[in-house]
Amino acid sequence: MNALDYLQFVLAPQVVNGLALGVAVVLVALGLTIIFGMLDVINMSHGEFYAIGAYAALALGAAGINFWFLLVLVPVLMVPLGMAAERLLIRPVFDSRDRHVTTLLVTFGLALVVEDLLKVAFGPNTQRPPTPIPGATELAGIIVPNYRLFLIVVGAAIVSGVAYVVYRTRLGAMVRAAAFDRNMAASLGVPVALVYAGTFAFGVALAGLAGVLLAPIYSVFPTMGRDFILLAFTVVIVGGMGSIWGAVVAGLLLTQVQALASLVISPVWTDPIVFGTMVAFLVFRPQGLFGRLGHA
Amino acid sequence: MTGPVLEIRDLGIAFGGLKAVDKVSFSAERNRITTVIGPNGAGKSTLFNLISGALKPKSGQLLIDGVDMTGASPARTKAAGLSRSFQITNLFFELTVAENLRMAAQVLEPKARAFLPLCRSTRALAKTGEMLERFQLGHKRDELAGNLSHGDQRRLEIAVCLASEPKILLLDEPTQGMSHADTADTAKLVRELSRDVSVLLIEHDIGLVMDLSDHVVVMHQGRKLAEGPPAVVRADPAVQAAYFGHH
Amino acid sequence: MRDRLTLSMRASHLLALVFVAAALALAAIGAASGDTFYLRLGTEALIFAGLALSVDLLLGYSGALSLGQALYFGIGAYVSALTLLKVPSFWLAMAAAGGATLLASIVGGLIANRVRGVYFALITFGLAQVVAKVVYNTRELGASDGMIGIPVIEIGFGPVSVSAGNPVGFFLIVLAIIMGLYWLTAYLLDTPFGRVLTALKANEKRVPFLGYSVWWARMFSYVLAGLIAGLSGALYPMLRGFVSPELMFFATSGNAVISVILGGVGTLIGAIYGSVLLVLLKSIIGSWTEHHLIVIGVIFMVCVMFLPKGLVGFIRPRIEERLLAGAQKPAAPSFAPVRLEAGSAKP
Repeated sequence: MNALDYLQFVLAPQVVNGLALGVAVVLVALGLTIIFGMLDVINMSHGEFYAIGAYAALALGAAGINFWFLLVLVPVLMVPLGMAAERLLIRPVFDSRDRHVTTLLVTFGLALVVEDLLKVAFGPNTQRPPTPIPGATELAGIIVPNYRLFLIVVGAAIVSGVAYVVYRTRLGAMVRAAAFDRNMAASLGVPVALVYAGTFAFGVALAGLAGVLLAPIYSVFPTMGRDFILLAFTVVIVGGMGSIWGAVVAGLLLTQVQALASLVISPVWTDPIVFGTMVAFLVFRPQGLFGRLGHA
Repeated sequence: MTGPVLEIRDLGIAFGGLKAVDKVSFSAERNRITTVIGPNGAGKSTLFNLISGALKPKSGQLLIDGVDMTGASPARTKAAGLSRSFQITNLFFELTVAENLRMAAQVLEPKARAFLPLCRSTRALAKTGEMLERFQLGHKRDELAGNLSHGDQRRLEIAVCLASEPKILLLDEPTQGMSHADTADTAKLVRELSRDVSVLLIEHDIGLVMDLSDHVVVMHQGRKLAEGPPAVVRADPAVQAAYFGHH
Repeated sequence: MRDRLTLSMRASHLLALVFVAAALALAAIGAASGDTFYLRLGTEALIFAGLALSVDLLLGYSGALSLGQALYFGIGAYVSALTLLKVPSFWLAMAAAGGATLLASIVGGLIANRVRGVYFALITFGLAQVVAKVVYNTRELGASDGMIGIPVIEIGFGPVSVSAGNPVGFFLIVLAIIMGLYWLTAYLLDTPFGRVLTALKANEKRVPFLGYSVWWARMFSYVLAGLIAGLSGALYPMLRGFVSPELMFFATSGNAVISVILGGVGTLIGAIYGSVLLVLLKSIIGSWTEHHLIVIGVIFMVCVMFLPKGLVGFIRPRIEERLLAGAQKPAAPSFAPVRLEAGSAKP
């Protein structure tokens, strides 16, 4: 196989696959980094919300609901779930001295419960919803599955939308104010409790949306959340905890590295590489690529 | 032993473009009280951070008892005989008063004792008892440091510094937030202490400074503005301008 | 020094004695009734209690949450298994496991101790995940099936020997080892070194200014914790006859953390009680439903939110009060005189 063929038939599709996964990873990491950056909460159950989104898509899809509708419905359904979790679990431990540890532990407990609940509800086997947009298109000589193309476009749109809301709207400003100084924001009339609950809900809804988007490609199984969480945290750390652009850049970068590396080395080694990257950043540049948003 | 207990030569550090401490030189004589004063932002706390090893200087030299300690870590400057207190009380609030003192006094014991039961560190325990008595904290020995009154906490802060038998004590605004009575007591205490240990002090209370100090160093905008006995410094027109002049 | 921390540890020791007494009683009942199953279950609970102990050493004392302590447990188990397959000697297996875990935890500590708090938790989590995955995919180590066929060994103490296959005998040996590890950690915590660890949790920033090296203290406690986990893990193949990568998975680390929270962070004995409690809960709830994780997860969350001191942490202050009341009587011992005149201390 000559170089051009290699480029066209091996490398490029892998890049596209990486991009498609990357966009979904960015969505999950975005939720995680927003929750950390805004709320100073470590959400170990974030992967489980990703799983909930995927399972919801599976179940509701099987019940006949159209995929396009699911894209909106599932995240919306996850909002009350997220708000309840924040109110019932996170609020009580929020003011403890070692908030990072306690929120980590309480969300870890939630992750255990959710994972087992999913197993109860849906069984331990792997399932896969049908691909909503079958077929492939040829772009510049590269065969690209249509669904992955769709993922890339929609994902990019959502990420841009989130960035826009956070940085350019009044809502975003309120959230950032509440994150920066709770009391000051409250005295300025910002409904802080609602903002906190809403932000958490928004973060996990993003994860759920990623679950809907990735389900047709990566299948749905009860431990999918747990498997995904290391990658999500790595992206957040490499990008910088609390940084939106960090999550985007790191998410795309790491998934590309993963996709291309799997061409040359056995997939067994992708986890160590991902982890190695996280460790390297934590040791040499703990603030990540882009530092933090929200708190100082 | 001769020579100053602490000497800094052209010590400097900058943050971004701002020269927080700019080529400051002076020495602190043994068994004397040297006070560093200056308006807010003059760089006094930064200077303390440099001397105690919390920050590494970009330039200059630090000598403790004649030994070069430039860039040494806080643990090393501590081992060299320098002990510092903090402007914002920085005790172990969840530990008892006695434990705070014992932890500080433990350095008097050989390192190997670290793995023997506490009761074998007799010197540290004795020192703890001594400090408790000297600073009138005996009846509060089992109290959590966080539960003490502000004045008691500040006293404990000084006691903790003293427990390791340092050569020089760096006190960062020891009377901060204290009542008149407490301030007077602290001043008396510092005066007594200076018989055994050298003191380098940051203070804002001018009356206290004048009463207490043997030697005053004035800082302004990172630089040393003036130096000398209290009365001389007070009369210095440059110093007066810095404090009362237009900014 | 009649010190609050010493008093707390004494309360823990009392609970430890209660535990040992209960364990011995159960062993006697088991021996009399010829039971195998419950004794083995109890032995397994004790082995995992050792892992929980290592988590509490880090979390309760220096305030460092390790989410990957099972890594060292697993390394201990695998090295022990590998040794036993070649040379069925208890002492050699323990020594080998100890040595391997020592090295591993030095490396792990060098990596993990560069950071603190959440980052530390995530690095330890990641370390365990990665090594577990590597082991899972390594043919020579049995891959996903692990290694089986570990022989039942004879544990020799000079003229006397106990077979690992003897439920009561092995139970007692494991009890002795785990309680020995407990006493070692409890002892250390009442030394100046142990107090430095406590100071790290209370106010890490101040510690260097007192003249101590934070890095050495954290490394030492991390390596010790790793060693404890590894020695506990080494016992596992002797009990069950096999090892599998699951021993290193997050679930194992997670269980240890849950045990510590249930039992009471910082009490040391709480980790052991918590471990036993967890095994009990799992068996009891497991007999009704396969999905015991839901119940345990809920109990765990409730503990984190409302009972941060755990069970032992709840009981201990009451014991402390009793001890305090007892110590005020003139005949009561204390470690050192309450006050010493300056100059009367021996050099």
